[in-house]
Amino acid sequence: MVQKSDFRRIDKYTWELPKDVRGDMRVPARLFADAELFDTAFRDRTVEQLTNTTTLPGIVKYAMALPDFHQGYGFPIGGVAAMRADSGVISPGGVGYDINCGVRLLGTHLEQEEIAPYMENLTTALYRSCPSGVGGKGRVRVSKRELEQLVTEGARWALKQGLARQDDVAHTEEGGRLAGADPSKLSARAKERGRPQVGSLGAGNHFLEIDAVQEIYDREVAQAFGLRENQVAVQIHCGSRGFGHQVCDDYVKGLQSAVKKYGFQLPDRELVCAPLDSPEGRAYYGAMACAVNYAFVNRQVLAMGAREAFEQVLAGKVGDFDLFQIYDVAHNIAKFEEHEVDGRPMKLCVHRKGATRAFGPGYPGLPADYRDVGQPVLVPGSMGTASYVLVGTQKAMALTFGSTCHGAGRTMSRTQARKTVWGADLREELEGQGIVIRAGSNRGLAEEAPQAYKDVSRVVEVVDGLGIATKVARLEPLAVIKG
Amino acid sequence: MKYKMGRHFEEVEHTADIAIRVWGRDVDELFAHAAHGMACQMADVNAVAPTVEHTVELEAYDAETLLVSWLGELLYLGERDGCIFTEFDMLEVTPNRLRAVVRGGPVFEHRTHIKAVTFSDLEIVDTDAGYETTIVFDV
Repeated sequence: MVQKSDFRRIDKYTWELPKDVRGDMRVPARLFADAELFDTAFRDRTVEQLTNTTTLPGIVKYAMALPDFHQGYGFPIGGVAAMRADSGVISPGGVGYDINCGVRLLGTHLEQEEIAPYMENLTTALYRSCPSGVGGKGRVRVSKRELEQLVTEGARWALKQGLARQDDVAHTEEGGRLAGADPSKLSARAKERGRPQVGSLGAGNHFLEIDAVQEIYDREVAQAFGLRENQVAVQIHCGSRGFGHQVCDDYVKGLQSAVKKYGFQLPDRELVCAPLDSPEGRAYYGAMACAVNYAFVNRQVLAMGAREAFEQVLAGKVGDFDLFQIYDVAHNIAKFEEHEVDGRPMKLCVHRKGATRAFGPGYPGLPADYRDVGQPVLVPGSMGTASYVLVGTQKAMALTFGSTCHGAGRTMSRTQARKTVWGADLREELEGQGIVIRAGSNRGLAEEAPQAYKDVSRVVEVVDGLGIATKVARLEPLAVIKG
Repeated sequence: MKYKMGRHFEEVEHTADIAIRVWGRDVDELFAHAAHGMACQMADVNAVAPTVEHTVELEAYDAETLLVSWLGELLYLGERDGCIFTEFDMLEVTPNRLRAVVRGGPVFEHRTHIKAVTFSDLEIVDTDAGYETTIVFDV
């Protein structure tokens, strides 16, 4: 069992576990945290899972956990690992079941005070136009053939259907379409589950929020992103729904035999993997890319729902109620990217599980209007607390394969949260702060209580201090919609 | 199934997801208790009136994969039919094959939405008292 004393502190926020601590490690592991957050890594199985990740074939440099880390399954949440494209593996458990769970941020030209009189109606309209909850059906139902086009083309499909604008697509990671999607690698069941759920939030930690920009930290970058103080914004947090869950499930099960075939010794069966350059590895990538694209379309369709709600409630009452897209990022994904390893550029498959891409200025793949400043990084806080917009940096390219944190990160189990927090009390408390709530159940509210999470501001201080994304703006919630 | 004496399952602390430890005197009982334990995370099983019945037949690579397939099948059928399964007649369970009749009904108040059944440290252990395993659900 790995101990605290096995770690070597490299600087204020970096702790390294040398690769000789456990015999099966192929590379060292790094935890990025302040001293107090570092201690919390030993309260659950974060460190063990991070150490397990270092055993994956073809992993380079080090496996890492960002400061919002916590125990997951297979990889820890907040985990990043990069494998050589030519000789490494891809692991469905390193992406997770909610493939391309992510966040979309929409800006407005409205000030907080302008919508204050309409907050209740606006929240109700959003709750209606953006379906949520267990088994919730989506805004759009597609045929089998349409689903295949949707998952191949991603946001471009939405654009053709009149469900997106050119700017939405440009301001989405990968332009809303991860290349290499192969619908022939999907099970019939994945397609069946995907068809009715396009444009639905789901349940759990997914949410839709109306926020106000409370503070700007970097005026120049904020301006480039279209953010200013007191501005109203909308955040959408959800993923690929039953479609993505099924894709992951199919391949975690299906690859169990591949591990034996390729002779891998793995410390946890959830780390199941296949060589990137193998029929099994290519099949998973092709199916995963379909789920990535499904999630981009899902958030896109919900964004159209949000626009519809804003129009319904605000038309004729305020001047300009338009919602424009600032950015859309993935939090659970595996992607081919080129990074420098040992001074040489290398093609890698970067697994981000509960982590955000954070490309610095000038990198290919950024929209033209953000290229000089860097990629927007969207870090939602826990329900009822602040969220942050950060910007990617050159330092992230050097330290973390262009990755940074994705949220606050849980510290308390759901059971513990329900014992500690009473959903009805929490609802009252949030409403007392002036936040409008629409939630399916008080139980769900209690499980997502702010007390069950780390302080997002503290997590953001660590990544800002390390320089693997820097602060641009802080948002505070005005209304929260949950399944 | 006809519930026998003894513990079926208990919840295990997990920071973000849900985990249950499950016991069974034999593999049939372990699989039924696992399905019952999962249903208890999703809803109050006493409030479910069984109105839907399915026969489930599965084959898998090994016993753990079969367990994940079994619980995943119940999640899938539940999502499709809008119900939760609470009764399980295990007709046959071998390490590679399962046949069962399951019954369930609609739920009006959900507890936790389970996205998937994981393989996280999954191992079915043969103990003196029977079989034991811990299952982590992604929620």
